Amino acid sequence: MALLKKNKKNESATNEFDQVIVGTSLTKEAWKRLQKNKLAVVGGIIVIIYALVAICADLLPLYPYDQAITSHRNLRPSLTKTAGELMLEQEMKNLFFQAWRGGRLEVPDEEDALIEQWVRESKTNKVWDLLYERGMAALEDGSFTWSSSEQRRIDNVLEDIETETLITIDSVSADLGDGMKRIDDMSYDELVSLYAGLLGTDVATVESSLYNEVSATVSNELRANDSTLSGEDLTASIEMEMDAMGRDGFENRASQNLVAYIEQLAQRGASSDVNALISSGDAVLPYKGVFDLSSGLHVELEVSRMHDRHYYCGTDYLGRDLLSRIIYGSQISIAIGIVGTVTSIFIGILVGALAGYLGGKVDYYLMRFVDIMYGLPYMLLVIICMAIFGRNIVNLFFALALVSWLTIARMVRGQIMSLKNQEYVEAARSMGAGTMHIIFRHMIPNSLSVIIVYSTIRIPAFIMQESFLSFLGLGVQAPYASWGSLIGDAVSSMSLYPYKLLIPSIVMVVFLFSMNFLGDGLRDAFDPQSKNQL
Amino acid sequence: MENKKEVILSVKDLRQHFPIDGGGLFKKTVGYIRAVDGISFDVYKGETVGIVGESGCGKSTTVRSIAQLYKPTTGQILFNGVDLCTADKDTLLKERRNIQMIFQDPYASLDPRMTVRNIILEPLRIYNKRGLLEKKYTEEELEERVKDLMEKVGINKAFVNRYPHEFSGGQRQRIGIARALALNPEIILADEPVSALDVSIQAQILNLISDIQKEMGVTFIFIAHDLGVIQHISHRVIVMYLGKIMEISPSDDLYADPKHPYTEALLSAAPIPDPKVERSRQRIVLEGDVPSPDKERHCCYFYDRCSKRMDKCAAAVPPLFDCGGGHHVACFLYDDKPIAEPANDKPTEGELKLKAKMEKKEKRKGASQAV
Repeated sequence: MALLKKNKKNESATNEFDQVIVGTSLTKEAWKRLQKNKLAVVGGIIVIIYALVAICADLLPLYPYDQAITSHRNLRPSLTKTAGELMLEQEMKNLFFQAWRGGRLEVPDEEDALIEQWVRESKTNKVWDLLYERGMAALEDGSFTWSSSEQRRIDNVLEDIETETLITIDSVSADLGDGMKRIDDMSYDELVSLYAGLLGTDVATVESSLYNEVSATVSNELRANDSTLSGEDLTASIEMEMDAMGRDGFENRASQNLVAYIEQLAQRGASSDVNALISSGDAVLPYKGVFDLSSGLHVELEVSRMHDRHYYCGTDYLGRDLLSRIIYGSQISIAIGIVGTVTSIFIGILVGALAGYLGGKVDYYLMRFVDIMYGLPYMLLVIICMAIFGRNIVNLFFALALVSWLTIARMVRGQIMSLKNQEYVEAARSMGAGTMHIIFRHMIPNSLSVIIVYSTIRIPAFIMQESFLSFLGLGVQAPYASWGSLIGDAVSSMSLYPYKLLIPSIVMVVFLFSMNFLGDGLRDAFDPQSKNQL
Repeated sequence: MENKKEVILSVKDLRQHFPIDGGGLFKKTVGYIRAVDGISFDVYKGETVGIVGESGCGKSTTVRSIAQLYKPTTGQILFNGVDLCTADKDTLLKERRNIQMIFQDPYASLDPRMTVRNIILEPLRIYNKRGLLEKKYTEEELEERVKDLMEKVGINKAFVNRYPHEFSGGQRQRIGIARALALNPEIILADEPVSALDVSIQAQILNLISDIQKEMGVTFIFIAHDLGVIQHISHRVIVMYLGKIMEISPSDDLYADPKHPYTEALLSAAPIPDPKVERSRQRIVLEGDVPSPDKERHCCYFYDRCSKRMDKCAAAVPPLFDCGGGHHVACFLYDDKPIAEPANDKPTEGELKLKAKMEKKEKRKGASQAV
């Protein structure tokens, strides 16, 4: 508010003709120059679109990025066909291939030779596509018919497509004596008694089985971190971990498990009701409904046809929607780019400005420290960091930011050193301005253009580093995705399912390209004397 | 006559030595550039003191030391009786208010990212924030002050929102002057304020400075290369050479009757804007170049190049001799006159310290070589 008022007052200065006179700052001029650079503008727009899509991912009509449907594994991307049609197509491709192997499906001799060669070169996709084309033609003109077992397999698929439904639980509530309450809001004790009531056992049994489950998870985690643990060591470590977790930690973990179990029970209980509704024809899919189960659970759920889904970017090896994984992955990738850059700029400016302005011993020791950090192989440092502190996203941010402020610190120091001897800084000193005043009012604003340019170039570098780590399996962990981890997952099945590699790669490359164009444009805009302009 | 004037600033044996760093892994001081090597002078309230001399003679260093942009190696700078060199931070801040600077390059001395308003207000804001002004100013009062100052230096006050790059050199220098005036200082140190401007603008700026002085009674210390400019604006002139004062004299006196051989040579080098006279001008061409200021000297600083050098010039540093009428000359040609300042042959405290340090170092070096 105060700022707005101040701006208004600033614009009140008028000349003798009552025209408001507003100065054009260097930043404003740079902005004007940037707008003339078409490539940079296009790059900027693309970057903004990416950012918007990533931010609004939750609002977009996407399938959950971590929902795996087994029968939808490795479906190719298609704009028109539903998952069911693709499943059928895949099944038929397999059958045609078997028929060709068995000699029942006949193709011209030269094509036979070609297919043989493709099989040797394991160009499976080409074989499938050709045989599918020939087989469909043969089916059409009646020269080939399915055998009874083949027909049965096709019918099975068709029936699955027709009948299989996907039930999504929106919420489960139960009456614990004081009105309906959602299980997400229940305390541990309430959950335990509810679950025990549902199973018909007593609370103690439930608690002891929960304890076993949690300690099994802990043991898995421990062994994942240190594969040499075994026997008594492992038992001792588990006990230590469980003690460290405390009662609250245990209840937290156990509650999560319990919620999942109760939802499973509710789904199982509701599915018969749902199926009855569907087969009676009362419900039109997709269907949204509320069920009161005989066990006392109150379930709100959504039912949709499982194989009606459209996968515009295909699915991965677990049957998860690739489009939604790419969009949610871009959230993580872009966030790492931005957070890493902001953190490294913050540290870099602080260190660089202090070293550059104070000079002398401070400068010497700070810069030697930077030199030493430079000397360390920084990817190794990041990998060690990730190994020590555990693999999660926050640690990834931390580890990347820790080693990436060095260049910025050096750059800012150079800038500050050249600005330090400018006359306006001397003027400020002669007016009694303090060190902080000079650094924050004169030096940083004047070196900001360089910093902005550098940071736009840093963001792609961060995304690349994160992708590299994820590719190696050190970055984000499932079920989360990032561009790097999607590409890393796709590499193993590159020849069979090239789309899994290509789509995330293209998405990533387009973003990096735009970001680089924007950075170049900014550099030219802030430095009009630069010689390598278009 | 002089006694009636009130001394506002007194510089006593000011020395400013800059260390020369040797190469190598660990920076080691291998010597000193004696930019200013023991100068003393007084400045009286309301006058303009011009400092002339060729490049590298220590003019700028002198005013920057006075403004405390450099910490002087040794010596005293007494402003209204307070020694700025030894003053603590708060006192220095309080006194600094009365010593403001105008800089040489109007392009470099204004922050390109600030509007004219912010540039002129910067000193006011700094002092206002700490409550060192007569009273706390409100934003509106500061705004008024900016308008006043802009009017005073002759810039359209509608331009407050503009940035320095939207002005011409002369206008920028006016902004620089407005900034220097913002705190109502008693002394303004002008470090070659007109050298970067073209001649017509130079005249405007000089007139502006004279007007301001008449109006506000500000004392000026004015540096210029141009002897004509100095003659036009100064009441007294200090001639410097190699970090040392050669001659101090009332302005008219100096131009009419230069006493020091160096001043004679300097004045003879100035072109005269009259072709007839210019053609008959006799130039005194000095032999040799300005020696490097990195050596300690125990003779007259001008000895190497002087056409009138004598044996005793090589033996001692000449003190300032009083030739009457406020005219002081550092030359043994005027040895029969009384000495203006007590001779300062003795090394100062700083010099002694420095010497002790060097000796220690030498000794250590010798010891390590012996090992």
